Amino acid sequence: MRRLGHVRAPVAAVLAILAVGGTVTRAAELDEVVRRGALVWAADQEGGGPHVFPDPEQPTRLTGFEVELADLVAAELGVTARFQQGQWDRLPLLLGRSADCVINGFELTPERRRDYGCSRPYFAYALQFVGRRGAAPATLADLAAPGPRGAWRVGVLTGSAAEQVLRARSDLQVEVIGYDGTVDSLEQLRGGVLDGVVMDDCIFTFYADRFADLRAVDRPFAGGSYTVLTAAATPRLAAAIDAALGRLIADGRLEALYDRWDLAGRQQMLLLRDAAEIPAATRRDTWDLVRDTAPLLLKSAGMTVLLSCAAFPLAIAIGLAVAIGRLHGPAWLGPVLATYVEVLRGTPLMLQLYAIFFLLPKVGLALPAIVAAVAGLALNYSAYESEIYRAGLRAVPAGQLEAAMSLGLTKWQALRHVLVPQAVRLVMPPVTSDFIALFKDTSVCSAITVIELTKRYSVLALSTGRIVELAVATALLYLAMSWPLAILSRWFERRLERPAGARP
Amino acid sequence: MIAVESLVKTRGGVRVLDEVSLAGAAGGVTALVGASGSGKTTLLRCLNGLETFEAGSLAVAGHRLVAGPHPPATLEVLRRDVGMVFQQFNLFPHLSVVDNVTLGPRVVLRETVSVARGRALDLLDRVGLADFATARPATLSGGQQQRVAIARALAMRPRVMLFDEPTSALDPAMTAEVLDVIVDLARSGQTMVVVTHDHGFARRAATWVVELAAGRVARQGPPPDVLG
Ligand SMILES: Nc1ncnc2c1ncn2[C@@H]1O[C@H](COP(=O)(O)OP(=O)(O)OP(=O)(O)O)[C@@H](O)[C@H]1O
Ligand SMILES: [Mg+2]
Repeated sequence: MRRLGHVRAPVAAVLAILAVGGTVTRAAELDEVVRRGALVWAADQEGGGPHVFPDPEQPTRLTGFEVELADLVAAELGVTARFQQGQWDRLPLLLGRSADCVINGFELTPERRRDYGCSRPYFAYALQFVGRRGAAPATLADLAAPGPRGAWRVGVLTGSAAEQVLRARSDLQVEVIGYDGTVDSLEQLRGGVLDGVVMDDCIFTFYADRFADLRAVDRPFAGGSYTVLTAAATPRLAAAIDAALGRLIADGRLEALYDRWDLAGRQQMLLLRDAAEIPAATRRDTWDLVRDTAPLLLKSAGMTVLLSCAAFPLAIAIGLAVAIGRLHGPAWLGPVLATYVEVLRGTPLMLQLYAIFFLLPKVGLALPAIVAAVAGLALNYSAYESEIYRAGLRAVPAGQLEAAMSLGLTKWQALRHVLVPQAVRLVMPPVTSDFIALFKDTSVCSAITVIELTKRYSVLALSTGRIVELAVATALLYLAMSWPLAILSRWFERRLERPAGARP
Repeated sequence: MIAVESLVKTRGGVRVLDEVSLAGAAGGVTALVGASGSGKTTLLRCLNGLETFEAGSLAVAGHRLVAGPHPPATLEVLRRDVGMVFQQFNLFPHLSVVDNVTLGPRVVLRETVSVARGRALDLLDRVGLADFATARPATLSGGQQQRVAIARALAMRPRVMLFDEPTSALDPAMTAEVLDVIVDLARSGQTMVVVTHDHGFARRAATWVVELAAGRVARQGPPPDVLG
């Protein structure tokens, strides 16, 4: 993956467009679901309780009120329910491919009404601000002014209504940080990285015991309802699911389900009595889309550049130090550094980022996401760069070290003035090509809440439904950034291939 | 200035230097001659600590080396006083000619850039390369490169210079220009040891000749006695 180099960048961009923009080809309509005998419903078990989560008693089994709801709906259609896992903010992309419907706390919004089949509401949620006990902010009113550390740092589930609502509130001094899982954000709040988390109240109620040191700040401040999503191409399936929900509501089975899960509040009952109509969104033209999304995309491209340009010099410095240590350091250092390299090369970058961001706070080292991202990228790439520099140092003829030492230089002086400068020139092409690879690997950092270009694309594409146009814009941005690097790398290669004498 | 006593060096169980002692090579120009593989290069490399040896001892420019691993500190002070010129020049390709010459004085002797540069230009003038100061080594002919290598070694003001077949990689014209420089140096009183196959040169420039054969000293003495 990471060794693709610059040649593949355009190809990768085209593939990305095809993969994301190639829309639904063969959506399963109602009759096919019935023939198959199974309704495939998608959800993210990482999203947490009480919606869908692994049964703590028996972790191979899924439980949650939506698991039971899916069973009820499928039974109404005369089929069984089959679960499909997906990352929460990408679940709608599964529709018409590996899933027939999404049942996972998807809020009913005008955009979703426009782009997907949406059932009548089946659940009322309310957005709750959660804070640490004894810590600021004491009330929501405090959010209007900056906190002790500047803007309040508030976690949300990426792509959720909580994120939309919060980002729209320009009156609040908050920095909104997106997470892929609810529990992750609560852990970060507890660790002090965040000042608060905004989530559906039922989720906080569910986890309240586990996070006894956290508390609800004020009453819920906004709310809405969940809907079952289906592909736009399957209207009959959508109607059947909607009708099934209607029957479950009418005969009280849904209410009974919520009773069992302790979710049957007054709000819930009111919602179930009358499903609200939501006005349809108007489709904007492409120019409006560009105008509205360009600042966000550019800002995220800036984050991609920032991550790469901060991480790569560090990776080079560490890599060079490791290479020198292995070749010229004391004997005991060799195996230590070899282990360092193999551990970092042998484990996924994603896992390393997780360890730095989510595990280090447990031992008292809570790093801001951007610092953790830069550290993770730098450490990971340092392993690869060290191997390149090791090869480069070994490629310098032995006579060079002897000539330097014959002049009375110490080994370290010889390294600094003679060996390293030559090795650095020698490995310029592979190192430049690694820079391009790192540049693209920055997208992994979205796993630890850093919003760079790919993540921004994914969020915008899902909230606006303009998957293809935004993919093209994003790919163009990547190319605009990586193309100069590719040219630079080829220039280095040509410079080195030229006979040494032709150099100025 | 140079004394070697019963030096033994083995490689893979074979004695490539076998009880080598140099008596009369106190100063002046010593020529090391002998068949290919007789141990000339090995002996020269022992003289500035690039090789270790198993028995015996040697002293160069007042620094003593004994059998076994050499302490880095000993080597660093020894090498300030002992310059070496290699068969393959070994110039630093990433540095200009003048920077090749100033590297040692700047880094080891801690001379300022302007002082080191001034001396380097004088030395380049002395080896006939004043016009090439800013060139890259790779743009020079072999003979020119070897003269830069000599200037580079001289910049450290060594008390002893070691040459390992300095002209064997050069054609006759280039050989002559390098030998002229070495002969000049010899006339100026520089103590040196020169490994060479060129008996004419040895006769002309050397004050003492040592002939090695299969790791042993076959003969040594003034040029007419050894070379006939
Ligand atoms: N790096 C090495 N590893 C093993 N043996 C070596 C090495 N270098 C030289 N020898 C051996 O040591 C012996 C002495 O070699 P040395 O290079 O000192 O000879 P020389 O007199 O300089 O020969 P020439 O005139 O060909 O340069 C030879 O038998 C040679 O094969
Ligand atoms: Mg030799």
